[in-house]
Amino acid sequence: MEQALFISKPDTAHYLTEDFTRLYYGQEFCERLLPDETQLKEVLSFAQEHRLEITFVTPYVTNRGLAHLERLFGLLSEKKPDIEVVFNDWGVLHLLRTSFPEAQPVLGRLLNKMKRGPRIMNIYEKMPQASQEYFRRSSLDVPEVGAFLLQHGINRVEFDNLLQGISFEGADSRIRKSLYLPFAFVSTTRFCLTANCDDPGYAERIGIFPCGRECQRYTFHLFNPVMTVPLIRKGNTIFFLNERIPESVARHEVDRIVVQPEIPV
Amino acid sequence: MKILSPLDSADEVDKLAAAGADEFYCGLLEEQWYERYPVISINRRPAGKGHFKDFKTLKDAVAKAHDAGTPVYFTINEHYYVREQYPLIIRYIEGACEAGIDAFIVSDVGLMAFLRSHGYSVPLHISTGGTVFNWRSVAFYRDLGAVNITLPRHLTIEEIKDIVNTAPPVAMTVFILNSRCINVDGFCTFQHGLARRDILPMFRNACMLPFDITLHDAKQTAQQLSYADEARIIERQRVWEKVHVDDYPCGACALYEFQTIGIGSVKIVGRGNPIERKITDVRFLKELLNVLEHEQPSRKAFRKKARQTYTETYKRPCRIALCYYPSVMLDEG
Repeated sequence: MEQALFISKPDTAHYLTEDFTRLYYGQEFCERLLPDETQLKEVLSFAQEHRLEITFVTPYVTNRGLAHLERLFGLLSEKKPDIEVVFNDWGVLHLLRTSFPEAQPVLGRLLNKMKRGPRIMNIYEKMPQASQEYFRRSSLDVPEVGAFLLQHGINRVEFDNLLQGISFEGADSRIRKSLYLPFAFVSTTRFCLTANCDDPGYAERIGIFPCGRECQRYTFHLFNPVMTVPLIRKGNTIFFLNERIPESVARHEVDRIVVQPEIPV
Repeated sequence: MKILSPLDSADEVDKLAAAGADEFYCGLLEEQWYERYPVISINRRPAGKGHFKDFKTLKDAVAKAHDAGTPVYFTINEHYYVREQYPLIIRYIEGACEAGIDAFIVSDVGLMAFLRSHGYSVPLHISTGGTVFNWRSVAFYRDLGAVNITLPRHLTIEEIKDIVNTAPPVAMTVFILNSRCINVDGFCTFQHGLARRDILPMFRNACMLPFDITLHDAKQTAQQLSYADEARIIERQRVWEKVHVDDYPCGACALYEFQTIGIGSVKIVGRGNPIERKITDVRFLKELLNVLEHEQPSRKAFRKKARQTYTETYKRPCRIALCYYPSVMLDEG
């Protein structure tokens, strides 16, 4: 079982231990938090120094973010053209396939649309079997999906650790699977409520505005009895914590664990 | 610019077409689906109202719409499907084709791959669940056969303009009225409609529930916060408890820019809304589009007209929290 350490900032590389053979670096949720070239070079050097394989993680992006990614991919293609890149935006896959064809695209967890909302756990056991199966399965059990991914050069898909569990029964065995621990994402927005949250002028304003990266200062825990676990708002995204190791790991249905010592925002 | 209106029954066709609807979108759910998937939809709308009940009534509605010169688009736009659902999904695909629908609205790439590999030639429209935030996503979906893309709610007017100007030619649809979701639809994995309406904490959208909120693991700056500052920061996180996403959100002021940009259609959210509300929404937009077309107002004059018409129609003022494109309220234009 391969173990990867996921960091979103170079200064969190201190979480590295000898258990890890791969480093995930980047951002999934906000293009404003993407690294610059200097930071990326720093992390590439760190990975090389510690003999780590590297995976670059990318978010959903506007045209502006896409242009920034193109610059970063240009740098990566010089240093490591066959680098693994997690994409969470079909446009980023299009960029990789057309301009950086040696890169190895990985379908990110935002594009793995399995339901994560904890509320379903209140009624999960009462649902018909077909519904329970739906919530535990991904579309990877549809033959056309595996074929489509392979046709587009994708042979790995990222999974969150769901409260209802994950079933890989019938999932395309040609596609490798990674499991993220312990934080699972639930939902994300560009109407970021953390942005400018300490500025009274923004009290009623909801939209896409410049921010002061308040996400790097504040994290919120959200409690409601109907949510079976607390929700965590970090920046523009809601997560939950699930430290229970699923049975699929013991059954070797996933071949990579991606460890997030901190929420990667 | 066309008005894309929700449609829930054949009876609504003539009324909405007369009010000014240029295109319809709709969904269908049969009892057979509910039995296996009572809280999982095939089309992003939970069980209950807002669906055609059978293919016969869908066919009647499509025939009436076509008589009025109005196309009908059929939603099969859940974010993902699993293999076990496909026999039922195929039934919906075949039934909708037989009913004569003009396009499928889809968001699952797996379903698109399925439709393509099985030779279905019905045009594909990409639902907002397709999460198109840049021109290359447009190109990706166009390569899969998409002819129309509904952009996410989470783009500014400038970003929309930039996509339209750089993307390959595909018709674009933008949101204009109702349901200003806080989260990106295509990246939201909360499940709606988990219970009947009277069990509110399970029925209501998760993003709008009342939460107890604590500031956790505050870094240096936060540790120096006064009690009042901390309370205000937390209160900000509760904004969607106070502002209902369906309290008549509107983006009509931006029609001015959308006409210039070359947006093809503006979408009214509202499957399941009463017919009176649907007619009001269509008439409201039609009136403003007529102003744009026939009076060629300045941007400032149009915004004034849009706000006045909104206030008169919906009996409430414009509010920035419910403005789809809030730059129009911040920019005096």
